[in-house]
Amino acid sequence: MKVLVGVKRVVDYAVKVRVQNKSVDLNNVKMSLNPFCEIAVEEAVRLKEGKQADEVVAMSIGPKQCTETLRTALAMGCDRAIHVSTDLRTDYIDLQPYAIAKIFEKVVEQEGSDLVLLGKQGIDSDCGQTGPMLAGFLGWPQVTFAANVEAKDGGIQVERETDAGTETINIPSLPAVVTCDLRLNEPRYATLPNIMKAKKKKVDTIDADSLGVDLEAHNEVLEVFEPAQRKEGIMVEDIDQLLDKLKNEAGVLA
Amino acid sequence: SIEIPDMEDEHGVLPDPIATVGAGVTRNTLNEALRHTGLQFVVDPGADATLGGMVATGASGTTAVQYGTMRENILAVQCVLADGTIVNTGTKALKNSAGYDLLGLLCGSEGTLGVITKVAVKLHPIPENIMAAVCVFDSLQDAAQTVAMLKLCNVPLLRCELLDAMSVKAFNQYQQGQGQQDAGAATKREEKPTLFLEFQAPSMESLQEQVQMTQSICDDYGGSGFDYCSDEEERKALWAARHSLYYASVNLRPGATGAILTDACVPLSQFASVIQETAQEIEEKGVVAPTFGHAGDGNFHTIIPIGEGDSEEYIETLHEISNNIVLRSLAAGGTCTGEHGLGYGKTKYLERQYGPGAVHMMQLVKKSLDPHNIMNPGKVVPN
Repeated sequence: MKVLVGVKRVVDYAVKVRVQNKSVDLNNVKMSLNPFCEIAVEEAVRLKEGKQADEVVAMSIGPKQCTETLRTALAMGCDRAIHVSTDLRTDYIDLQPYAIAKIFEKVVEQEGSDLVLLGKQGIDSDCGQTGPMLAGFLGWPQVTFAANVEAKDGGIQVERETDAGTETINIPSLPAVVTCDLRLNEPRYATLPNIMKAKKKKVDTIDADSLGVDLEAHNEVLEVFEPAQRKEGIMVEDIDQLLDKLKNEAGVLA
Repeated sequence: SIEIPDMEDEHGVLPDPIATVGAGVTRNTLNEALRHTGLQFVVDPGADATLGGMVATGASGTTAVQYGTMRENILAVQCVLADGTIVNTGTKALKNSAGYDLLGLLCGSEGTLGVITKVAVKLHPIPENIMAAVCVFDSLQDAAQTVAMLKLCNVPLLRCELLDAMSVKAFNQYQQGQGQQDAGAATKREEKPTLFLEFQAPSMESLQEQVQMTQSICDDYGGSGFDYCSDEEERKALWAARHSLYYASVNLRPGATGAILTDACVPLSQFASVIQETAQEIEEKGVVAPTFGHAGDGNFHTIIPIGEGDSEEYIETLHEISNNIVLRSLAAGGTCTGEHGLGYGKTKYLERQYGPGAVHMMQLVKKSLDPHNIMNPGKVVPN
């Protein structure tokens, strides 16, 4: 089984995001591996350790710093990596899931992958569309929000989380696309020897423009804004004043 | 602010395993930021403490037996004195003999000498291979002797914790509570003194050697039920329960609202007898109080739960036990506080522990650095 794992470079989850020029300000902002992609990498590496996968290839789309993100995936245990190079923003402002899925489609065809593992969504755009769109373009079965993956008899059995409970889906034979959710696994910490080894693993760079894919954004982003600022609180002198404000200003007491 | 090593240096220069952080950054926040560097900050007290706070209290955790306490893991500190002077002390170099050891002075000073603003801490590689082991003993004595022997035989321990029978009971009850939420029932442990050990090594082979040596030493002291596991989830569950012992202990007495937490540290040769005498006194007085400790360091804690309805007489007994633990430890050549600091309750033991000379020297230091006594007055040094 050849596995392709999507690895997205996103604004770090702990960063306080600011809006600048109709988009999220990315200047000097800490970027990291998308947490859901990290879970996908972990699952792929486990499939390899369990001898169900022969090769795990990590792939990332974006600027040259994506190689750092790919190095982390390699340090976790991926065999090699593909960097699809572009300066277009991948947080929905320039590249959108449709184009991203098309890029993945091309790479899957080139690589001959049997299983594509993706995070369920990027924490920047929160779309959750790349996986399903890719499956649609490839004509492959898909399971999203995977909470458990088991390779069985040439296919996979996946448990997925829904609001109503857990659903078990059996895909009798590969290929397939699976998107990974939080409870699928807890990703490993890369140890230093693995980080050092990862520096020697192969990273191939492909120019996004050379793939013959339409990278145009089909949806126009009209506005990006921060949530309304919370109004400053005030100090009150005593309980009576508090009650008065709650009753007559905030209107929360009868 | 957090500065962590850059593993991606283009010239292939390996960075120093050092992180420089603002005093308010907590240890978990630091370790999260270090996530993909392969390095970790190892001092692990129960709470998610701030690094500045950890310096001020000379904090310590379960990994002290291998890596030392906060004292051994700081390289540089920035602080502000009472008169507004900004002090930068220490160096990123691993050794330093330039001038007075101000780092040592600040460590454990509990805010009485300066306000800590920045800390440069040592980092260590995340271990390639870790194994946890458990062994049960007939007596605290046997368990403590085993630890002493392990150290003499140069077995490198990553963690070494000793739980008395009552602690194991609390541990079982806690696991039972957790078991309802997690899949996979945790086995109930025998309610006897138990050693929880952890090892790390660059290879599985050397790890297994360490475990084998340990097993044979445990055998020598009548240990039974020796068990080991390397599965990450099992190991984590084990240590999570150990870290939650405070709450588990308080829960041993339904209705307890808090507890007296003792902390004493003695030379390893005295560890067995001090812990034994403490357990004996507790039993004789009919008090519920589990005892557990960082056996590798000769440091132990007794958690004495207090209930709302407890009589004054009972509470007095509890304080008696706590006081006796300190006196016993001092008599054994140890200290009234191994890692928790003096707080409000232990300054009174300072002179007994060190004699008038050291207390006088501490007072001189305090007076010259804080003549108007504005820095956390009433703490550390007796007035």
